[in-house]
Amino acid sequence: MYGWIWRHLPGNAWVKALISLALVLLVVYVLFQYVFPWAEPLLPFNDVTVDNQ
Amino acid sequence: MNVAATTDGTQEGTDAPAAPLARRRRPGPVAMAVSFFGELLITAGLILGLFVVYSLWWTNVVADRKADKEADRVRDGWSHQATGPGALNTKNGIGFLHVPAMKNGEILVEKGTSTSVLNNGVAGYYTDPVKAALPMTGKKGNFTLAAHRDGHGAKFHNIDKLRKGDPIVFETKDKWYVYKVYDILDETSKYNVKVLSQIPKESGKTKAGHYITLTTCTPVYTSRYRYVVWGELVRVDKVDSNRTPPKELR
Repeated sequence: MYGWIWRHLPGNAWVKALISLALVLLVVYVLFQYVFPWAEPLLPFNDVTVDNQ
Repeated sequence: MNVAATTDGTQEGTDAPAAPLARRRRPGPVAMAVSFFGELLITAGLILGLFVVYSLWWTNVVADRKADKEADRVRDGWSHQATGPGALNTKNGIGFLHVPAMKNGEILVEKGTSTSVLNNGVAGYYTDPVKAALPMTGKKGNFTLAAHRDGHGAKFHNIDKLRKGDPIVFETKDKWYVYKVYDILDETSKYNVKVLSQIPKESGKTKAGHYITLTTCTPVYTSRYRYVVWGELVRVDKVDSNRTPPKELR
């Protein structure tokens, strides 16, 4: 999978490395901004109140 | 596939010998499947690791930033807005909680205990299932609060450092309400809403009084049980012109 991505990136090794870094940052951003905030309430780590639910 | 790899590999090298190319033969389908599966597992591990970083660090950063801004607005409002009818503005937070034993400064208190409120790095007072009795009203009752143990500001992270007799101070625009911890329940069911009663019988009280109740989750990093701390009002100090804190906070 990662090898396939690496082979299909344009440019020489340095350009590929830079693009890879940008891709990694993009993935981390999407995870932190959208995926994790969505997933968090579904997981039982952060319920602090006593209630009837 | 092999050809593409060859041209890529030799773009820089001027004269790549044929030998290394032969060694880079395409692996069999089983090996490919196994390595793809392995990469998926590594990816899943990294994402889970990132989720830990997110919940224990990033949510704190975001929540503290929001809470600081909100706290500034409240203090600003206190210093500029003249007291008048309807001065109690519950929208922007009603005051600050100071718990010296938790060593985390002041905690802004806002209305409600929904996730959207608590995720802003504040403590919320209960409106459901039992309405909190706000100290400013002067009426007897239970001032019930909740805040996060971990992540989103983790305002009650050190709740287990509180001992009986420790002060809990609630600061409003013109009063310091000084409470003293008199009972702690270090594990209870999340369905135990009785801890929020106006007279919290589980703490041994039978008469109406001015109580404060802090709730959060326990043990740390999970939400299996709830941790409850009860306090009773000791005295009320007037805020002076310098906002000199009561001796418990000095």
